[in-house]
Amino acid sequence: MRGVILLGLASLISLGAQAADLDGKMLFHQKCEMCHGAAGMGTGLLARRMKPEVAPLEKRDDLSAAYVERAARIGILNMPPITRGDVSDAQLASIARYLSKGKP
Amino acid sequence: MDASHAPPSAATLDKTLKAMAGVVGAAATFATQEDCDAYSDRFPIDPHRHRPFAAVAPTSAEQVQALVRIAAAHRVPIWTVSRGKNLGYGTAAPVVASSIVLDLSRMQQITVDVENATVLLEPGVGFYDLYDYLQTRNIPLWLSVPGNSWGSVIGNALDRGLGYTPYGENTRNLCGMEVVLPDGDMVRTGMGAMPNAPSWQLHKYGYGPAWDQLFVQSNFGIVTKAGMWLMPQPQIVRGFDVEMDRMEDLGPLIDVIGPLRREGVLQQSPTIGNWFRAANILTTRKQWTDKAGSLSDDVIAAIRKQFGLGWWGVSLRLYGRETVVQANMDILEKALNAIKPMSMKPFSWRPGEPFTPTQGGWMGVPMTFPLQSANWFGGRGGHIGFSPVLTQSGKLAMEQFNRTYARYKEFGMDYQASFAFGERHLLNVNAILLNLDDPQFMKRVDPFLRTLIADARQHGYGEYRAHIDYMDTVADCYDYNNHALRRLNERVKDALDPVGILSPGKSGIWPAAYRKEGKA
Repeated sequence: MRGVILLGLASLISLGAQAADLDGKMLFHQKCEMCHGAAGMGTGLLARRMKPEVAPLEKRDDLSAAYVERAARIGILNMPPITRGDVSDAQLASIARYLSKGKP
Repeated sequence: MDASHAPPSAATLDKTLKAMAGVVGAAATFATQEDCDAYSDRFPIDPHRHRPFAAVAPTSAEQVQALVRIAAAHRVPIWTVSRGKNLGYGTAAPVVASSIVLDLSRMQQITVDVENATVLLEPGVGFYDLYDYLQTRNIPLWLSVPGNSWGSVIGNALDRGLGYTPYGENTRNLCGMEVVLPDGDMVRTGMGAMPNAPSWQLHKYGYGPAWDQLFVQSNFGIVTKAGMWLMPQPQIVRGFDVEMDRMEDLGPLIDVIGPLRREGVLQQSPTIGNWFRAANILTTRKQWTDKAGSLSDDVIAAIRKQFGLGWWGVSLRLYGRETVVQANMDILEKALNAIKPMSMKPFSWRPGEPFTPTQGGWMGVPMTFPLQSANWFGGRGGHIGFSPVLTQSGKLAMEQFNRTYARYKEFGMDYQASFAFGERHLLNVNAILLNLDDPQFMKRVDPFLRTLIADARQHGYGEYRAHIDYMDTVADCYDYNNHALRRLNERVKDALDPVGILSPGKSGIWPAAYRKEGKA
């Protein structure tokens, strides 16, 4: 399943979409999708608290960049905090930009 | 023994960290309160016990060498993690509080040898990273992934983690290492000791003593690269998902699987799990009962009925050439029918065919959904393991199960168990699901675990792996000839790490400076 998603990404890259967004999308795949993708733990647990169709973070339209960054750094419920060794501040900022779809 | 050793002063720690920042840069030096929280244990019995002073993230073995020399010069303990995702065993947290965590997350080189089905990895490579690497290049090699595949491939093998394929005993797949020793020297093991040997990842021993396992579950060195054997994708995967109805079916099930595993008809590492191991991913406790204490038989029956679960379940898989797999399917089916399973669902997959995420573990696809069990109590949870090594005897395993289940009831815990087959042994991996929002509940966890460990010890069952809080207790069970093994470990530790800076207390191995403080 992840292989399929990656192929989709590769074709996006060749279309030359905006570099900053792309970076965030790719980083989301590398750093977050294991839990927040289709069959991930995060998606499974969020689906218990909201409509399952918006449980994957990429489907959300109510995330602000600041919220994403805070949530990742301090953790929420069963989400552990993400260390800066694993995801740098610059990488997290890209991911937050991507997930917030431009909202600050 | 415990961490009563006088810690370095704040001034020394600051000076050390400053020197380390000079090596890795300020952007790879993490010392805020939030950083220290993030590098602490996520499934803690006591969240304050193992808080690090800071963390640093090198990007090369040369940086690791420099950091080790700095730590030794300042006599500051460092705690090495590959990716720091060892949930249930301490996450990234050190045994000794105020250690500096050496986070190898940013060392992420992958070198695959497709023809020979091997990979040379740095410790920061996670299961998902390696999986993506292979998938995007259409390389038909498989991983062996653990139930939560968030962590490091190398880290998991170095902690003797388990997967579910024929390569399921991950530490056995290690072949050749690069290791930074506590004085900053660097060694390559096996054939790697011969510069440019083309067989570093092919022959596990080289010449003379083989050192790889000495760097597994130890604190003798920092593994900066390791070879792993990968599984060539088979022509076909077949097997059965088996459910057994009654508690007492465990013994007969073990006695059917054991001989097939030892003979080699079954080459994977099958794991028998109880109903709860499957159910606690799918539902939460509050949907079934508001009573504290272990779940009643009525509730268990209702949950089992809802999800169609036996008391025990196991997924058996056969891998390889079609004709061979067909012959082994016949043998397996006949053997299983003899013990009258509640259900027996056949499984078949060929490369290119789709499969559900829940089947992925048997095909080496990384997963995280089993960690949904952390939400069993509805809020913040987690798990801690109790995993004694048993024999493949149905009778003895039933006895151990009965003792353990009785203790779970006595301490008011919900019983999660699995029995994972090695080639000769049986690992009884029990999980205690934690309710981090309930301090009264959490107070029962420590005495419960200590009771389980003491019970098992009486029967000669020691654990294969332990959370940082129980490393000493578990090591203490291995006490033949007045702790000769511990004394040997200590002699090696003192010879390699006389200052005592590398992961003090890991696996119950303490450097001399800490031992002088006396036993706990």
